[in-house]
Amino acid sequence: MAGESSKESIVRASSQFDPGALLRRPMVIPCLLIVILMILGETASPGFASPGQIIKLLTLAALMGIVAAGQNLVILGGREGIDLSVGAIISFGAVIAGNIMQGANSMVAPAILGAAGAGLGIGILNGIGVTILRIPPLVMTLGMMGVVQGALVAMTRGIPSGNAAPVLADFITQPVLAGIPGILFVWIGVGFFMAWLLSRTAFGYRIYAIGTNQRAARLTGVSVWRMRIGLFGLSGFFAGLTSVFVLGYTGNSFIGVGDQYMLPSIIAVVLGGTPLSGGQGSYTGTMAGAFLLVILQSILITLQMEEFGRQIVFGVTLLVLMLFYGRQHRLRV
Amino acid sequence: MNRDTGISTVSAFLRWVDLARRPYLPAIAVTLLLFMLNGFLQPKTLRPVSIVADISTYLPMILLAVGQTYVVLASDIDLSVGSIISLVNVVTVSVMAALGGSLGAIIAGIFVGIAVGIVCGAFNGFCVAVLRFQPIVSTFASGIVFAGIALWILPAAGLAAPDAYWETYGENVAGIPFVLWILAAMGIAVAVIAQLVFARSLLAVGGNIQSAYQSGLPVARLRVRAYILCGLFSALSALCLTGDTASGDPLLGAKMTLGSVAAVVLGGTALSGGRGNPLGSIFGAVILGLIGSVVFFAGVPFEYQNLVQGLIVLAALAGGVTVARR
Amino acid sequence: MGVLEVKGVNKHFGAVVALESAELEVKRGEVHVLIGSNGSGKSTLCKIIAGSVIPDAGEIRIEGTVTAINRPQDATQAGIGVFYQELSLVPQLSVAENLLLAALPRKGPGLVDRAAIRRRAEALVEPFAEVTGDGFALEALVQDLRSDQRQILEVLKVLATEARIIIFDEPTSSLDKRQVTVFFDLVRELRDSGRAIIFISHRMDEIFEIGDRVTVLRDGRSVECLRLAETDQDTLVQHMVGSLIAPVSAGQHQARDDYDDTLLSVENLCAHRLDGVSFELRRGEILGFGGLHGQGQSLALRILFGAEPATAGEIQLTGSSRRPSKPADAIRKGLAYLSGDRNRDGVLLTRPILENLVAADLTKHKRFFLYPQRLIRKISPVVDRLKMRFSGFSAPISSLSGGNQQKAVIGRWLTIQPDILLMDDPTKGIDLHSKTDLYQIMRELAAEGVSIILYSSEDAELLGIADRILVFNGGRIVQQLEGTQLTAFNLYQAAYGVTA
Repeated sequence: MAGESSKESIVRASSQFDPGALLRRPMVIPCLLIVILMILGETASPGFASPGQIIKLLTLAALMGIVAAGQNLVILGGREGIDLSVGAIISFGAVIAGNIMQGANSMVAPAILGAAGAGLGIGILNGIGVTILRIPPLVMTLGMMGVVQGALVAMTRGIPSGNAAPVLADFITQPVLAGIPGILFVWIGVGFFMAWLLSRTAFGYRIYAIGTNQRAARLTGVSVWRMRIGLFGLSGFFAGLTSVFVLGYTGNSFIGVGDQYMLPSIIAVVLGGTPLSGGQGSYTGTMAGAFLLVILQSILITLQMEEFGRQIVFGVTLLVLMLFYGRQHRLRV
Repeated sequence: MNRDTGISTVSAFLRWVDLARRPYLPAIAVTLLLFMLNGFLQPKTLRPVSIVADISTYLPMILLAVGQTYVVLASDIDLSVGSIISLVNVVTVSVMAALGGSLGAIIAGIFVGIAVGIVCGAFNGFCVAVLRFQPIVSTFASGIVFAGIALWILPAAGLAAPDAYWETYGENVAGIPFVLWILAAMGIAVAVIAQLVFARSLLAVGGNIQSAYQSGLPVARLRVRAYILCGLFSALSALCLTGDTASGDPLLGAKMTLGSVAAVVLGGTALSGGRGNPLGSIFGAVILGLIGSVVFFAGVPFEYQNLVQGLIVLAALAGGVTVARR
Repeated sequence: MGVLEVKGVNKHFGAVVALESAELEVKRGEVHVLIGSNGSGKSTLCKIIAGSVIPDAGEIRIEGTVTAINRPQDATQAGIGVFYQELSLVPQLSVAENLLLAALPRKGPGLVDRAAIRRRAEALVEPFAEVTGDGFALEALVQDLRSDQRQILEVLKVLATEARIIIFDEPTSSLDKRQVTVFFDLVRELRDSGRAIIFISHRMDEIFEIGDRVTVLRDGRSVECLRLAETDQDTLVQHMVGSLIAPVSAGQHQARDDYDDTLLSVENLCAHRLDGVSFELRRGEILGFGGLHGQGQSLALRILFGAEPATAGEIQLTGSSRRPSKPADAIRKGLAYLSGDRNRDGVLLTRPILENLVAADLTKHKRFFLYPQRLIRKISPVVDRLKMRFSGFSAPISSLSGGNQQKAVIGRWLTIQPDILLMDDPTKGIDLHSKTDLYQIMRELAAEGVSIILYSSEDAELLGIADRILVFNGGRIVQQLEGTQLTAFNLYQAAYGVTA
């Protein structure tokens, strides 16, 4: 009975990743959609699903996926957690990184530190606003987005500046090993890091706890406010990190380069199985969600759907998702 | 006048200043302060001509903030208002252009624009109150859709509005600037709405939705109506903006959403619902405009203006949320 | 024939039987008291009459006619009005508006008819003008009223629906003596005007002051219906107690007088609803908190655990004289807190059993890196001890039965090997088998030197397992029972405030 199952569980839990978790429903949907869209894309435009193309798509997905990691953490923490400032942070970080680097290979590391550090700081400010001032996350991060955009204008006077170092650009766009660009290895690394964080650390357990039942979590001794500040800080950090890679991808920064990452980061998280209410979900799902979004975007371009069509599709997608993920309780008497 | 009369006058005054009943009082005070500061920094702004010009600039945000207030009072929120503005603007200008720019075309354009605003509001209300979507993400998403539709109808800015339209907007009618007529009409509308049972019921929904439901109030219908009202005011805001810019621009309203929320909070309305007044939001919108003006006239370097404004707005949000929570 | 007759009502919630063949008959123009210990079914019966709970069986007759009450609206239409303890007022609206919220008078196209509101509100309020006190203007906002004024407003709100049968569920809980007198005048007015009043209260002297007849419920059955003028407090208590069969699982408690040391000393603990609680806890003792629900027992436990603030008082734990400032603090000082409301306070419902079990352990040992194998090895003995039945540690805890879920939460606390275990009504809604297991574990723990403070709303359980019981009433400890004093009768007397 209980004794036997303890031993069984010991065997099962000692494997690094529970294979059962991967097959859980949330992952199946995005993967299925990916396959379907790939077939669609290949039919509409042969060569769509060629290895070279797929690598390109994955590269874009990596950029989206890394910032989505931070968004994932914030949403997992529950209580309407969301971070709308990530787009602005990416724009901001790209300018900072570009200016530190100025095209010099030797300055890549400081650039990364600078951008990620700036993101971390902004994220922590978001966290403080949400916990101590009790401003709803949406309002707080929306306001912060305005501030960061204003700071961006102040810094650059509207003129894009800064340059990516060649080694960075190569890292993103050129193959490093087995025809795979370095950025993908970074993304895989982020994937492992997130899996480890969420399943092998007390911090990870606590994220799920506060996202599931904040009261109960508090009664087990979790410091809820400290956790939330940490989550928003991490979101800012990942956005800052992404900004460096985005800079490498585009070569030099243009104002507002990060804006297009904000909404997709949210959708990728939701598509990957993390409900907007938090408390459950995994980053591997988000990775699939990011890839799915990139393919969707790409198909819309291939089908020659213009900006407005893509916007409408995105908005409608989110609304349809809400049918399954985001409904509130009925009023009871 | 003896001590007792003095004391009773003071206590009568204190009762009148009851923030629960008149949550807009701090906003009025701040408005006056900013106005005087603005006048001090740049005396030319005190001329009637300047004041009218300012009102004309602030009017779209004022209308937007009023609309947002009704939704917030019911403890919901509408983050699609900026996109509704873009959509209404684009539709209106397109209709007016398609019908030839005559007076009839203008009137048709206006009606269609208002209808579009109402439909958008109804859609939002349906998603939030009937489908029970979370208001924040739902209206955010529908805003994306509205903005996309706007882009579809008018892919690039620049379609001109008929001359008659924007000329009338900038001129005097019966000796009084047109915008002041609009302001007055809006004031009357807000006052009338405040007298409706609907307004009190909205407060009940936002204040204690469970009690409202148990008392038999048609909660879902009330929330939908609030969103429709918000869509309507957004449409009116778009019409005024069109009068100002004289053209169609699919990205017109993008930045205004955050401003409308900030104006509502600055006006003393609680984001949690059940407490507040559209009158406060009117002053909140004016405060936003005056902040920009003060920042400009204070000689803040051009590149820092956005940042300073953003910081002030964020601080105001923090302050508003803290003060509204009692 | 009564204006309200309830017959043969059955109701169960899951495995728990709340009502069985319950009966009630209330006449016009009387105050009919409903009395019974915790879990006797009083509230459930009233909820059934009010339409917010649907019975499994039974019938309700109003003026002799069988009436189906499936929703609150049906009850309102039948003339039944309920006064709830949870205030159903909108704070931002005025007195008059709250009174008439269900149907605000309007004129023209939906405009507020201020004059009509004023007239109708005045008509409602006028008869009770002496009761309301100052500051009760029709235009006053509810958020500015005192709590007793709000209660009165609640009553007036019920009257506004023209109810002929009114249910009062513990209406005097936030009133002081003077306000109660005034409130009772209002109730008498209502009675004399021909309404039927059902009155639930746990204050004996109030029951005898205001009531005409009383129905006693015990274990979900209507045991007795008496005229209050023809009976006394002791008789009522006897009826409530009945012949108390202690559940087999609770077993015998052995009184000990050889406790080693005092582990915990509480002095003059005060909070919003706690009025100077002082006691000591010795090693290996099972201390019971008794009394009716909501008298401060849960609050005291939560304050001890650092989960709620106290306004005054000292808590001395061996090794520390500072009050635990937050749960993490309490956990590291050797305390554990088990809540009876496991869905709200205990269970992380969608998370795996493993995460639920180790939650407190992570705090106590300040862990960061986790090794699931080690964690499982640590919690396996606890799981076996609790005889939990489950499929695997990675299964979500929602896959367990209620009893096993609660066992998992208990397991969470056993894992940290606490010195003091605070149990806040832990067996609510749990099957008998699991309860028995739990009692056994409690005794074992006490024998091992763990001290337990147990609040239970089930008096039989408390009597069966506690070495000593502190009876709470109105936020303070009114009686300490130990040894031969541990009888149901004494417990009820103290709980109901019956002066011996």
